[in-house]
Amino acid sequence: MSPWMFVVTVLAGLILLAMVRLIRGPTSANRVVAMDAINTLVVAIMIVLSVVFKQVIFIDVAIVYALLSYVGVLFIAKYLGGEL
Amino acid sequence: MTPYLFFQGLVLAGLIVSGILVVTFKDLLAAAIASGAFSLLLALEFYLLQAPDVAIAEAGIGAGLTTAIFIIAIRGTKRYEEEE
Repeated sequence: MSPWMFVVTVLAGLILLAMVRLIRGPTSANRVVAMDAINTLVVAIMIVLSVVFKQVIFIDVAIVYALLSYVGVLFIAKYLGGEL
Repeated sequence: MTPYLFFQGLVLAGLIVSGILVVTFKDLLAAAIASGAFSLLLALEFYLLQAPDVAIAEAGIGAGLTTAIFIIAIRGTKRYEEEE
């Protein structure tokens, strides 16, 4: 097992831990924060995996993903705040 | 079992869990959040199968637009699903 795959596996375990909060979370705010944590972990996993696969183009996917994925959390936050 | 397959199993387990959550939540806002998490993990799975262009499309449409549209629809209707 290469050290990079070990890092990826640990990050995937952290995603499952965040998913525990997504399942149990008593309020919707807990679930939004859990989803945002999963978001950030997915971006980190994509960057590490581009090292594993030795493909430069895969970093572009992580960039586009990080630029687009915050929109959903932003809308949910505005809905919870009563502005939408 | 190679670490690559193990990691893919972790992502698929997360996909199954979040898919069940989408169906079972009675709070529709929580269901929309779980749908966002499902979309994130699906983009990661496409990335693992070495299809970065599909992953970009899934990240843009799934994570960004779909959640926002769901939130706008929930604002227009009701937040809690009624018991039949």
